[in-house]
Amino acid sequence: MPRIYFKTSDRVVTFPEGDDVNVLRVSIRAECGLPWKCASGTCGTDRVLVEDGAENLDPPRRRERERLGELLDHGYRLGCQTYARGDITISWDPDQVGLDDDSSTAERLRAKWLGAADTD
Amino acid sequence: MAELMPQDEFRVALEKAFEGTMAKDASFSRAWATGKLERQHFVHWATNHYHYIGPFGDYLGLMYANTPASARDAKDFLLQNMYEEELSDLRHSDLLIRFAEACGGTREHVQDRRNTMPFTKGLQGWMYHISGTENFVVSSAALIVGLESQVPSIYRTQYPALLDEYGFSEEEAEFFDLHITSDEIHGERGYQIVLTYADTPQLQERCLDIVREAADMRFAYTKALYSTYVEPDLGVWAEEDALVS
Repeated sequence: MPRIYFKTSDRVVTFPEGDDVNVLRVSIRAECGLPWKCASGTCGTDRVLVEDGAENLDPPRRRERERLGELLDHGYRLGCQTYARGDITISWDPDQVGLDDDSSTAERLRAKWLGAADTD
Repeated sequence: MAELMPQDEFRVALEKAFEGTMAKDASFSRAWATGKLERQHFVHWATNHYHYIGPFGDYLGLMYANTPASARDAKDFLLQNMYEEELSDLRHSDLLIRFAEACGGTREHVQDRRNTMPFTKGLQGWMYHISGTENFVVSSAALIVGLESQVPSIYRTQYPALLDEYGFSEEEAEFFDLHITSDEIHGERGYQIVLTYADTPQLQERCLDIVREAADMRFAYTKALYSTYVEPDLGVWAEEDALVS
Protein backbone atom coordinates (compact mmCIF):
# COMPACT_ATOMS: atom_id res chain seq x y z
CA MET A 1 0.00 0.00 0.00
CA PRO A 2 1.21 3.57 -0.68
CA ARG A 3 2.39 5.50 2.38
CA ILE A 4 2.81 9.05 3.52
CA TYR A 5 5.79 9.56 5.80
CA PHE A 6 5.26 12.60 8.01
CA LYS A 7 8.95 12.94 8.78
CA THR A 8 8.77 15.80 11.28
CA SER A 9 6.41 13.86 13.55
CA ASP A 10 7.86 10.47 12.51
CA ARG A 11 4.45 9.09 11.59
CA VAL A 12 3.58 6.81 8.69
CA VAL A 13 0.08 6.47 7.25
CA THR A 14 -0.82 4.00 4.51
CA PHE A 15 -3.78 4.16 2.18
CA PRO A 16 -5.34 1.76 -0.35
CA GLU A 17 -3.70 1.32 -3.73
CA GLY A 18 -5.59 3.27 -6.39
CA ASP A 19 -6.88 5.92 -3.97
CA ASP A 20 -5.68 9.50 -3.87
CA VAL A 21 -5.84 11.23 -0.53
CA ASN A 22 -5.74 14.80 0.70
CA VAL A 23 -2.50 15.24 2.65
CA LEU A 24 -3.87 17.54 5.37
CA ARG A 25 -6.97 15.39 5.83
CA VAL A 26 -4.75 12.35 6.40
CA SER A 27 -2.70 14.31 8.92
CA ILE A 28 -5.79 15.44 10.84
CA ARG A 29 -7.40 12.01 10.81
CA ALA A 30 -4.25 10.17 11.94
CA GLU A 31 -3.06 12.99 14.23
CA CYS A 32 0.26 13.46 12.44
CA GLY A 33 0.77 17.02 13.66
CA LEU A 34 0.96 19.09 10.47
CA PRO A 35 0.04 22.65 11.57
CA TRP A 36 -2.96 24.19 9.84
CA LYS A 37 -5.42 27.02 10.27
CA CYS A 38 -7.71 27.55 7.30
CA ALA A 39 -8.72 24.86 4.87
CA SER A 40 -8.78 26.81 1.66
CA GLY A 41 -5.17 27.51 0.66
CA THR A 42 -5.34 31.02 2.06
CA CYS A 43 -3.09 31.06 5.12
CA GLY A 44 -0.22 28.77 4.09
CA THR A 45 0.19 27.41 7.63
CA ASP A 46 0.21 23.82 6.34
CA ARG A 47 3.07 24.20 3.84
CA VAL A 48 5.31 21.15 3.61
CA LEU A 49 8.63 20.40 1.98
CA VAL A 50 8.24 17.36 -0.25
CA GLU A 51 11.46 15.47 0.34
CA ASP A 52 10.54 12.45 -1.74
CA GLY A 53 7.77 11.37 -4.10
CA ALA A 54 6.79 14.71 -5.66
CA GLU A 55 5.83 12.79 -8.78
CA ASN A 56 3.11 11.07 -6.73
CA LEU A 57 1.30 14.34 -6.05
CA ASP A 58 -1.32 15.98 -8.23
CA PRO A 59 -0.34 19.21 -10.03
CA PRO A 60 -0.53 22.43 -7.94
CA ARG A 61 -3.98 24.00 -7.92
CA ARG A 62 -4.61 27.65 -8.71
CA ARG A 63 -4.83 28.77 -5.08
CA GLU A 64 -1.69 26.83 -4.23
CA ARG A 65 0.24 28.43 -7.07
CA GLU A 66 -0.88 31.89 -5.99
CA ARG A 67 -0.23 31.31 -2.27
CA LEU A 68 3.18 29.64 -2.54
CA GLY A 69 4.65 31.45 -5.53
CA GLU A 70 8.38 30.75 -5.66
CA LEU A 71 8.18 28.31 -2.75
CA LEU A 72 6.65 25.84 -5.21
CA ASP A 73 9.91 25.85 -7.16
CA HIS A 74 11.76 25.02 -3.95
CA GLY A 75 9.70 21.87 -3.39
CA TYR A 76 6.96 23.17 -1.10
CA ARG A 77 3.29 22.28 -1.31
CA LEU A 78 0.21 23.07 0.78
CA GLY A 79 -1.15 20.04 2.62
CA CYS A 80 -4.76 21.17 2.26
CA GLN A 81 -4.48 21.61 -1.50
CA THR A 82 -2.50 18.48 -2.34
CA TYR A 83 -3.59 14.93 -3.12
CA ALA A 84 -1.16 11.99 -2.97
CA ARG A 85 -1.58 8.79 -4.97
CA GLY A 86 1.72 7.08 -4.05
CA ASP A 87 4.60 7.15 -1.57
CA ILE A 88 5.70 10.58 -0.34
CA THR A 89 7.91 11.96 2.43
CA ILE A 90 7.15 15.42 3.81
CA SER A 91 8.58 17.65 6.53
CA TRP A 92 7.82 21.05 8.01
CA ASP A 93 8.87 23.48 10.71
CA PRO A 94 6.77 22.51 13.75
CA ASP A 95 6.58 26.17 14.79
CA GLN A 96 5.59 27.55 11.42
CA VAL A 97 2.71 30.01 11.15
CA GLY A 98 0.74 31.36 8.22
CA LEU A 99 2.62 33.12 5.46
CA ASP A 100 0.90 36.42 6.24
CA ASP A 101 0.75 36.18 10.01
CA ASP A 102 3.38 38.88 10.47
CA SER A 103 1.93 41.22 7.89
CA SER A 104 0.25 44.53 8.52
CA THR A 105 -2.97 43.07 7.14
CA ALA A 106 -3.03 40.46 9.86
CA GLU A 107 -2.24 43.14 12.44
CA ARG A 108 -5.12 45.29 11.24
CA LEU A 109 -7.47 42.33 11.41
CA ARG A 110 -6.36 41.52 14.93
CA ALA A 111 -6.88 45.14 16.00
CA LYS A 112 -10.31 45.17 14.39
CA TRP A 113 -11.61 41.92 15.82
CA LEU A 114 -9.92 41.71 19.20
CA GLY A 115 -9.93 44.10 22.11
CA ALA A 116 -6.69 45.84 23.07
CA ALA A 117 -6.18 43.48 26.00
CA ASP A 118 -6.36 40.48 23.70
CA THR A 119 -3.71 41.79 21.34
CA ASP A 120 -0.98 42.11 23.98
CA MET B 1 -29.86 -2.57 24.96
CA ALA B 2 -27.45 -1.13 22.37
CA GLU B 3 -23.84 -0.64 23.42
CA LEU B 4 -21.54 2.25 22.63
CA MET B 5 -19.60 1.47 19.44
CA PRO B 6 -15.83 1.99 19.43
CA GLN B 7 -14.91 5.07 17.37
CA ASP B 8 -13.46 3.14 14.42
CA GLU B 9 -16.60 1.00 14.17
CA PHE B 10 -18.83 4.06 14.50
CA ARG B 11 -16.93 5.82 11.71
CA VAL B 12 -17.47 2.89 9.35
CA ALA B 13 -21.17 2.94 10.23
CA LEU B 14 -21.35 6.67 9.49
CA GLU B 15 -19.63 6.18 6.12
CA LYS B 16 -22.02 3.34 5.27
CA ALA B 17 -25.03 5.51 6.10
CA PHE B 18 -24.54 7.31 2.75
CA GLU B 19 -24.61 4.17 0.64
CA GLY B 20 -27.09 4.35 -2.20
CA THR B 21 -27.89 8.02 -1.76
CA MET B 22 -24.65 9.86 -2.53
CA ALA B 23 -25.52 13.10 -4.34
CA LYS B 24 -22.68 12.49 -6.83
CA ASP B 25 -24.76 9.60 -8.18
CA ALA B 26 -28.00 11.54 -8.63
CA SER B 27 -29.16 12.30 -12.16
CA PHE B 28 -28.22 15.99 -12.23
CA SER B 29 -24.68 15.21 -11.01
CA ARG B 30 -24.23 12.43 -13.54
CA ALA B 31 -25.52 14.55 -16.42
CA TRP B 32 -23.10 17.31 -15.32
CA ALA B 33 -20.07 15.03 -15.04
CA THR B 34 -20.74 13.46 -18.42
CA GLY B 35 -20.96 16.76 -20.28
CA LYS B 36 -24.71 16.70 -21.02
CA LEU B 37 -25.75 20.03 -19.50
CA GLU B 38 -26.05 23.48 -21.03
CA ARG B 39 -25.26 26.84 -19.44
CA GLN B 40 -28.92 27.60 -18.76
CA HIS B 41 -29.06 24.46 -16.60
CA PHE B 42 -26.09 25.72 -14.58
CA VAL B 43 -27.87 29.03 -13.93
CA HIS B 44 -30.78 27.08 -12.41
CA TRP B 45 -28.35 24.98 -10.40
CA ALA B 46 -26.48 28.04 -9.10
CA THR B 47 -29.73 29.79 -8.16
CA ASN B 48 -30.98 26.83 -6.16
CA HIS B 49 -27.57 26.14 -4.67
CA TYR B 50 -27.31 29.75 -3.52
CA HIS B 51 -30.45 29.33 -1.42
CA TYR B 52 -29.24 25.98 -0.12
CA ILE B 53 -25.76 27.06 0.99
CA GLY B 54 -26.13 30.87 1.11
CA PRO B 55 -27.31 30.76 4.75
CA PHE B 56 -24.56 28.30 5.75
CA GLY B 57 -23.12 30.91 8.12
CA ASP B 58 -26.56 31.13 9.76
CA TYR B 59 -26.76 27.36 10.18
CA LEU B 60 -23.28 27.27 11.70
CA GLY B 61 -24.13 30.20 13.98
CA LEU B 62 -27.16 28.34 15.33
CA MET B 63 -25.02 25.26 15.88
CA TYR B 64 -22.40 27.39 17.61
CA ALA B 65 -25.00 28.71 20.04
CA ASN B 66 -26.15 25.15 20.78
CA THR B 67 -22.62 23.88 21.47
CA PRO B 68 -21.58 23.91 25.14
CA ALA B 69 -18.42 25.69 26.25
CA SER B 70 -17.08 22.30 27.36
CA ALA B 71 -16.79 21.36 23.67
CA ARG B 72 -14.46 24.27 22.93
CA ASP B 73 -12.75 22.57 19.97
CA ALA B 74 -16.12 22.01 18.31
CA LYS B 75 -17.14 25.63 18.90
CA ASP B 76 -13.83 26.85 17.47
CA PHE B 77 -14.24 24.68 14.39
CA LEU B 78 -17.74 26.03 13.75
CA LEU B 79 -16.49 29.59 14.11
CA GLN B 80 -13.55 28.95 11.78
CA ASN B 81 -15.88 27.34 9.24
CA MET B 82 -18.19 30.36 9.45
CA TYR B 83 -15.25 32.75 8.99
CA GLU B 84 -14.07 30.86 5.92
CA GLU B 85 -17.54 30.91 4.38
CA GLU B 86 -17.90 34.65 4.77
CA LEU B 87 -14.69 36.58 5.46
CA SER B 88 -11.37 34.83 5.11
CA ASP B 89 -11.08 35.48 1.40
CA LEU B 90 -13.83 35.89 -1.17
CA ARG B 91 -17.31 35.25 0.20
CA HIS B 92 -18.24 31.78 -0.98
CA SER B 93 -21.71 32.83 -2.11
CA ASP B 94 -20.08 35.52 -4.28
CA LEU B 95 -17.96 32.86 -5.99
CA LEU B 96 -21.18 31.01 -6.73
CA ILE B 97 -22.71 34.15 -8.25
CA ARG B 98 -19.54 34.65 -10.32
CA PHE B 99 -20.11 31.19 -11.79
CA ALA B 100 -23.78 31.96 -12.48
CA GLU B 101 -22.80 35.17 -14.26
CA ALA B 102 -20.30 33.23 -16.38
CA CYS B 103 -23.25 31.08 -17.43
CA GLY B 104 -25.35 34.07 -18.46
CA GLY B 105 -27.26 34.53 -15.19
CA THR B 106 -27.49 37.63 -13.03
CA ARG B 107 -26.95 38.31 -9.34
CA GLU B 108 -30.57 39.48 -9.05
CA HIS B 109 -31.92 36.26 -10.52
CA VAL B 110 -29.76 34.09 -8.30
CA GLN B 111 -30.66 35.95 -5.12
CA ASP B 112 -34.43 35.90 -5.76
CA ARG B 113 -35.81 32.93 -3.84
CA ARG B 114 -38.89 32.88 -6.08
CA ASN B 115 -36.59 31.32 -8.70
CA THR B 116 -35.97 28.20 -6.59
CA MET B 117 -37.69 24.84 -6.44
CA PRO B 118 -39.94 23.86 -3.54
CA PHE B 119 -37.33 21.16 -2.83
CA THR B 120 -34.74 23.88 -2.25
CA LYS B 121 -36.93 25.82 0.13
CA GLY B 122 -37.61 22.55 1.94
CA LEU B 123 -33.91 21.70 2.20
CA GLN B 124 -33.12 25.18 3.49
CA GLY B 125 -35.88 24.94 6.08
CA TRP B 126 -34.68 21.48 7.15
CA MET B 127 -31.17 22.87 7.68
CA TYR B 128 -32.49 25.77 9.78
CA HIS B 129 -34.56 23.29 11.78
CA ILE B 130 -31.73 20.83 12.44
CA SER B 131 -29.12 23.48 13.22
CA GLY B 132 -31.47 25.43 15.47
CA THR B 133 -33.09 22.66 17.46
CA GLU B 134 -30.84 19.61 17.59
CA ASN B 135 -27.99 18.67 19.92
CA PHE B 136 -24.79 20.02 18.36
CA VAL B 137 -23.45 16.49 17.81
CA VAL B 138 -26.54 15.57 15.82
CA SER B 139 -26.52 18.78 13.79
CA SER B 140 -22.80 18.29 13.07
CA ALA B 141 -23.58 14.78 11.86
CA ALA B 142 -26.33 16.16 9.62
CA LEU B 143 -24.81 19.27 8.11
CA ILE B 144 -21.09 18.55 8.19
CA VAL B 145 -20.82 14.77 7.86
CA GLY B 146 -24.07 14.18 5.98
CA LEU B 147 -23.94 17.15 3.62
CA GLU B 148 -20.61 19.02 3.60
CA SER B 149 -18.35 15.96 3.62
CA GLN B 150 -19.97 14.78 0.36
CA VAL B 151 -18.81 17.85 -1.53
CA PRO B 152 -15.33 16.69 -2.62
CA SER B 153 -16.77 13.50 -4.10
CA ILE B 154 -19.26 15.56 -6.12
CA TYR B 155 -17.00 18.36 -7.33
CA ARG B 156 -13.97 16.20 -8.09
CA THR B 157 -15.86 14.85 -11.09
CA GLN B 158 -17.78 18.03 -11.90
CA TYR B 159 -14.88 20.51 -11.78
CA PRO B 160 -12.72 18.82 -14.47
CA ALA B 161 -15.83 18.63 -16.66
CA LEU B 162 -16.41 22.37 -16.21
CA LEU B 163 -12.91 23.11 -17.52
CA ASP B 164 -12.57 20.40 -20.17
CA GLU B 165 -16.12 19.73 -21.40
CA TYR B 166 -17.88 23.03 -20.83
CA GLY B 167 -15.00 25.47 -21.43
CA PHE B 168 -15.07 27.50 -18.19
CA SER B 169 -11.92 29.18 -16.92
CA GLU B 170 -10.34 28.36 -13.55
CA GLU B 171 -11.45 31.76 -12.27
CA GLU B 172 -15.07 31.26 -13.36
CA ALA B 173 -15.14 27.84 -11.70
CA GLU B 174 -13.19 28.79 -8.56
CA PHE B 175 -16.19 28.00 -6.34
CA PHE B 176 -15.79 24.31 -7.13
CA ASP B 177 -12.02 24.01 -6.83
CA LEU B 178 -12.12 25.80 -3.48
CA HIS B 179 -14.71 23.42 -2.06
CA ILE B 180 -12.99 20.27 -3.27
CA THR B 181 -10.19 20.91 -0.82
CA SER B 182 -11.80 22.94 1.97
CA ASP B 183 -14.65 20.48 2.46
CA GLU B 184 -12.17 17.61 2.73
CA ILE B 185 -10.92 19.30 5.88
CA HIS B 186 -14.29 20.47 7.14
CA GLY B 187 -15.68 16.98 6.59
CA GLU B 188 -12.83 15.36 8.50
CA ARG B 189 -13.25 17.76 11.42
CA GLY B 190 -16.97 17.02 11.35
CA TYR B 191 -16.26 13.31 11.68
CA GLN B 192 -13.91 14.00 14.61
CA ILE B 193 -16.54 16.05 16.44
CA VAL B 194 -19.20 13.39 15.96
CA LEU B 195 -16.85 10.54 16.90
CA THR B 196 -15.72 12.37 20.04
CA TYR B 197 -18.95 13.79 21.37
CA ALA B 198 -21.48 11.11 20.41
CA ASP B 199 -20.73 9.38 23.69
CA THR B 200 -23.88 7.37 24.30
CA PRO B 201 -25.45 4.59 22.19
CA GLN B 202 -28.52 6.77 21.78
CA LEU B 203 -26.52 9.71 20.41
CA GLN B 204 -24.60 7.43 18.06
CA GLU B 205 -27.85 5.97 16.75
CA ARG B 206 -29.36 9.45 16.35
CA CYS B 207 -26.27 10.55 14.39
CA LEU B 208 -26.54 7.56 12.05
CA ASP B 209 -30.21 8.29 11.47
CA ILE B 210 -29.60 11.96 10.73
CA VAL B 211 -26.73 11.21 8.30
CA ARG B 212 -29.10 8.92 6.38
CA GLU B 213 -31.73 11.66 6.45
CA ALA B 214 -29.24 14.31 5.27
CA ALA B 215 -28.03 12.11 2.42
CA ASP B 216 -31.64 11.46 1.41
CA MET B 217 -32.35 15.19 1.46
CA ARG B 218 -29.39 16.07 -0.75
CA PHE B 219 -30.03 13.18 -3.11
CA ALA B 220 -33.68 14.11 -3.53
CA TYR B 221 -32.78 17.77 -4.05
CA THR B 222 -30.15 16.93 -6.68
CA LYS B 223 -32.51 14.54 -8.45
CA ALA B 224 -35.21 17.24 -8.45
CA LEU B 225 -32.82 19.64 -10.19
CA TYR B 226 -32.69 17.22 -13.09
CA SER B 227 -36.39 16.49 -13.27
CA THR B 228 -37.30 20.19 -13.01
CA TYR B 229 -34.78 21.81 -15.33
CA VAL B 230 -33.10 19.16 -17.49
CA GLU B 231 -35.63 16.41 -18.11
CA PRO B 232 -37.75 18.64 -20.38
CA ASP B 233 -34.66 18.97 -22.62
CA LEU B 234 -32.92 15.59 -22.29
CA GLY B 235 -35.64 13.22 -21.12
CA VAL B 236 -35.59 10.81 -18.18
CA TRP B 237 -32.09 9.99 -16.90
CA ALA B 238 -31.73 6.28 -17.57
CA GLU B 239 -28.80 5.63 -15.25
CA GLU B 240 -30.65 6.65 -12.12
CA ASP B 241 -32.87 3.62 -11.58
CA ALA B 242 -29.87 1.32 -11.59
CA LEU B 243 -28.07 3.42 -9.01
CA VAL B 244 -30.80 3.71 -6.42
CA SER B 245 -32.47 0.31 -6.73
